[in-house]
Formats: sequence, structure tokens, C-alpha cells
Amino acid sequence: MRKLLSVISLLIASSAAFAQGAHYFKINEVYVHTPACSKGDSTKACYKQASYVDEYGQPASWIEIENTSYSTHDIRNCFLTTNPAVLDKNMPAPEREKLMSAIPAGDPRTSLTAKQRITFFADGNTNRGTLHLNFKLPVGEPFTIYLYDGNAVDLLDSIHVDALPVGSSYARINDTEWQVCEADKVTPNAPNILYHNDKIKEFKEKDPHGIAMTLMCMGVVFACLILLFVFFYIFGWAMNRAAKLARVRAIRAIHEQAERMVEMAKQGTTETQGINMETYAAVIGLALHEYFGGTHDLESGILTIHQTPTTWADKSHELRVTPQHH
Amino acid sequence: MLLESVSTMDFIGSKLADFLTYTGFANVEWANIIMIVVGAFFIWLAIKKDFEPLLLIPIGLGIILGNIPFKAAGLEIGLYEDNSVLNIFYQGVRLGWYPPLVFLGIGAMTDFGALIANPKLMLIGAAAQFGIFGAYMIALAMGFEPNQAAGIAIIGGADGPTAIFLSSKLSPNLMGAIAVCAYSYMALVPVIQPGVMKLLTTKAQRQIKMKPARVVSQTEKMLFPIVGLLITTFIVPSGLSLLGMLFFGNLLKESTKTTRLAKTAGSALNDIVVMLLGLTVGCSTQASEFLTLATVKIFALGAFAFIIATASGVIFVHIMNIFLPKDQKINPLIGNAGVSAVPMAARISQSEGLKADPHNFLLMHAMGPNVAGVIGSAVAAGVLLGFLS
Repeated sequence: MRKLLSVISLLIASSAAFAQGAHYFKINEVYVHTPACSKGDSTKACYKQASYVDEYGQPASWIEIENTSYSTHDIRNCFLTTNPAVLDKNMPAPEREKLMSAIPAGDPRTSLTAKQRITFFADGNTNRGTLHLNFKLPVGEPFTIYLYDGNAVDLLDSIHVDALPVGSSYARINDTEWQVCEADKVTPNAPNILYHNDKIKEFKEKDPHGIAMTLMCMGVVFACLILLFVFFYIFGWAMNRAAKLARVRAIRAIHEQAERMVEMAKQGTTETQGINMETYAAVIGLALHEYFGGTHDLESGILTIHQTPTTWADKSHELRVTPQHH
Repeated sequence: MLLESVSTMDFIGSKLADFLTYTGFANVEWANIIMIVVGAFFIWLAIKKDFEPLLLIPIGLGIILGNIPFKAAGLEIGLYEDNSVLNIFYQGVRLGWYPPLVFLGIGAMTDFGALIANPKLMLIGAAAQFGIFGAYMIALAMGFEPNQAAGIAIIGGADGPTAIFLSSKLSPNLMGAIAVCAYSYMALVPVIQPGVMKLLTTKAQRQIKMKPARVVSQTEKMLFPIVGLLITTFIVPSGLSLLGMLFFGNLLKESTKTTRLAKTAGSALNDIVVMLLGLTVGCSTQASEFLTLATVKIFALGAFAFIIATASGVIFVHIMNIFLPKDQKINPLIGNAGVSAVPMAARISQSEGLKADPHNFLLMHAMGPNVAGVIGSAVAAGVLLGFLS
């Protein structure tokens, strides 16, 4: 029964961990390639977008996914699509899968470490490798991208993208905020904003002498230890109280027993109801024995092994002759 | 034949000359010599003066080892060279996984009974952490950045593993100096603390006799690591790795069912980690990295931090005594033990108490704030990490 429970607990824990991992994937940036631009347009946007190319040097639209967690997760077997038909909750999973582009397994690039990003090319040509999707992003019109978990049922993330200016991308700035980034701010496979440790800067500006830090930190340290103090003060008091009550109960029980003994003694000596003095002595002796340690609930924990003769160390089984002493 | 022997001699000569360029003699600088002398001094302190030999011998030899001059020829031998054995050992310091292992050992060896018996002593452990923040303010005034100041200030917690853990996260470039400073001052607790304690107490106060602590049940001891873990890590999750391991080690000890694990954590495992930690921390003090003005400032700040921590613990006991009934007064000599140098600080309380009254034994009373200091400094490190990382 215990083993069964352990196995069930492990299964629950591992399945929860799997689901947790997939939910860390978020669509991070979307870029739509404008084909008209690659025909010699020399504007800045067109010039920049010509540099966003796939492994074959071909300019393509792309979708960037970020592992937002601080641990490694694999995005293999997840699905991407722009087809809104997958939102139909009654559609069976195999039907959904046909409408989506699966991210293949077996490519180490799909394993994303903490905060790592991966870019998939939406060029409708999956023959070009793992990073290529089976659909294209529509140019000059709005669309929505859906990222589904490996079961093709759980929607991990989605983002609606309006028609984007040439060379621009649509990028996630924080958990809820998205913005259109101009050509020179498009950042495939890189953070959409540069992360600074603003905390240090803020402390330097607003708490140059460290007084606020001291007050806050000492407050937290005291809070932790005061809570521990309060808990163990109350708990200690309760334990003391319980011990006192136990002592009182024991004393009361001894009193009651003694009174009964006296009563019995009186009956035995005055009315001689069949109890002789030897019985009194035995009862008193037993009571004293119990009182002075006969009753216990803690065992010594000492194991003793009685010697049992076996042949395992028999001299006759040894491979060499026992040395002779001279 | 003659030509052949001449060319062989040339070959040997050129190889020997090349070999000489690899020797320490060819690459030595004055800074290396100074650091080797410092390392030898640490070993002398440990052996001759008995100043924390378990720490100072590995650190001292590490300093010597880290300052053996050699030619940077990609031989993968130096601490800072990728894939060298020392570099692999150093990952435990750089990535901060030695300190939680040390905390596991501390937890497995520590008896929190004195603290549970008299829980108000926890507040002394909290008060002594002012040493950290006093040093933080001074470090800021000396021009350090807040993250550097926090890394340096944690020396005031008198807790080497915590100092290494926090500085590896907040100010890795100062970690070597901070670690050596923290361990050096921990070893110098018997030199630094008594003067401050005497200065802040009268003879009558030093003679206060405290009531013997009540007997603590095993249930309370078992409950302490669980409740302690829940309370401290719910408030300061950033201290999870240190506090988690500390209370885990203590639960191994107090559960009475995992005595074997507790013994390993508190002896063999702890010894291995302490050896590697001490050696690599010592090695990290290569002259080029260590002999800077910043190191001098760090050592000065470390001394301030220890003095402030000791003083704040003693002063806090005076404040507590104002509110306590006459028969429950606390001897202010246990205030110094609020720093987490376990059990050195508690031993100082004991020896100073015996000097004032040969019949006054303060050791067990001082262990209360001492172990509270371990929790306090880990919490303080967690808070600083949360605010600044």
C-alpha cells in the first residue's frame, strides 16, 4: 500500500513538473518579412530586414519563443499555428495536430536553458529543418499566433498581431506589455530589452547612506526571530503546562491508589475479608516498582545477539592452513 | 659524430632554457612572495597560536598554493584556468554550493536546545546582525557600490560560508578578499571581542548569574527545524539554500531516525567541504587579484563589522535587562555570542564570565544567541540578496 502511494505521489509530482515546464514558454517576438522589400528597396527598414535570414540565407518571417523560467526546458513536440480553428474545444487532438506545425523532437536546439530564446521561421517549408514551420505569416494583415502544449489541447500562449510596418517586429516587453519595434530595435534570439540591475541603481540613488536598507533588513531579521521566539515561547509554555498536568495526574492517581490501599488494609485487618498481609505487601511492592520506573515508554535501543553456532567461519572451510604457533 | 653531439647539446640547452622559463623562479614577483608569507603566517597562527586551525591551515596553504608563480602557457593548472583541477574545486565556491553543504553540517552538529529553552535569546542573535548593516553604511560612505558594500558587510555576521555565498552572488570580484577576511576575523574572535565586551559592561553586570535552562523535550527539538524553516523561508525565500540546508541538517540530527546521515553530514561530508572550501578560498587570493587597495579597505571594514556586531549584541542585552524581572536578568557577556561564529563566540562568553566569577558558567546560555546568530546571518544574507540581486 505504501509503495503504491509512493508511486502515485511520484507520478503526480512528475506530471505536474512536466506541465509546469511547458507553461514557461512564451511567444517573445514576431517578425513579418515583406517580400516586396527584398527587390532592391534601399530604405533603412528594407535594408535591415534583408539581414534577418534563415540557415540558408533566405529572408523569412519568424516567431521567437522564450523560456521565461530559470531552468532548462525542451520545447520539442509543442505546436505553433495561426489557424483560429484550433480554438474549437470540441475538436479532437489528432484533428488539431493536422492544423498546426509541430516542433520536431531530436534536435538539441529545442532544449532552452534559463531565459533562452529560439526563433522559428514561418516560411511554410518544414523540409528545411527543425526551425521551419509549415505555415507563413500573412503580410499586411492582422493574425494571431497560438502556441500549444505537446498534447495539442492546452494553449500555452497566444498573441494577436496587427499589420506591422515594413522591417518592424512585435515584441514582448514584459509579462503583459507588447510593442511594435522599429527596424533598428528588432532583436531575433536576443532580449527585447536590455536588463539592468535597476535595484542597485535605485538603492544608490535613494538610499546613499544605507539607512533604509538597515532598517528594512534589521526589521526582517527581527521579524523572523521574533516569530520563532513567539512560537517556541508559547509551545514551551504549553509543553511545561502539559508536563505539570501529567505530574498532577500522576500524583492524584498515586493518592487514589494509596487511599484504596488504606481502605483495603482496614478491611483486611478489621473485617478480615480474605486478604492477608502478604497480598498487601505484594500490591504495595508492585505500586512502588511501577512508580520508580517500572513503567516506561522508551526502550534502550540496545540490540543483543545471542551467539549461534554456524559453519560459515569454520576453520575447516579456510583455504590455508591455520598458522602454527611455536 | 662531433656535429651530432653539438646539436644534441644545443637541443638540451634550448630545452633547459625553455624549461627555466616555466619555473616559479623565472615568473616570481614581489607580490607572490608577500602572499606566500601571508599564507605561512596563517599556518603559524593556526599551529602555534591555535587560532581556528581547521580553517586557517587549509586557507594558509591555499594562499601559498595560489601564489606559486608559473608561466601562463595554458597548462590548465591555475585556479582561474578553465578545466584545471583547482578550477573544478573552485566551482563550489564560485557557484555557491559549498556554503549550503557547510550549513548542512552545521545543522547536523548544532543543538538548538539552549535556544528553545530560552527563546528570548533569539533576539540577541537578531540584534548582533547590526554589525552587518553598520558595516554596510560605512562601506557605502567609503565609496563602494551597494552590492559590493553588502558583500563586504556580511563579514559582520561572522559566518564564513554565508559571506562566501553572498559575495559570490553580489560581488564576485571581491569574493576572495571577503572570504579570507571573514575567516581571519572569525579566527581572531578571541582577540577582538573581549575588549569590546569589557568596555561595555561593569564588573557587577559581568557577574550576573543566569537561571539554569529548562529541559527541552525531543518533540520541541524535532519541531524546531521544521517551524524554523517554514517561518524563515516564507519571509525570506532568497535564503532558502542556506536556511534549508541548516534546518535539514538539524532535522537529520533531531529526528533520531537518521542518526547515521546526521553523523556523515556533521563529520565526513563537512570535513571534505571545509577542506576544499578553505583551500580554494586561499587559492583565490592570487597576488594580482588580492593585493589591492580594495582588500585593505575590506579588512578595515571587516574589523569594524565585528566590533559593531559584538557591541550591538552586548548593548541589546542591557536594553533587554531593563524590561526583565530581577531574577531573570541576562548576563551581558553573552551578547557577543549573537554573531554566528559557532562556538567560538560562546566560548568567549564563557571565558570572560569565568574571569569575572569563577563559578559562573555561561557557555550553555551563550549557545542560545550563538545559534540564533547563524539563523540571523543567513536571513540577513537572504534579505540583502533579495534586495540587490
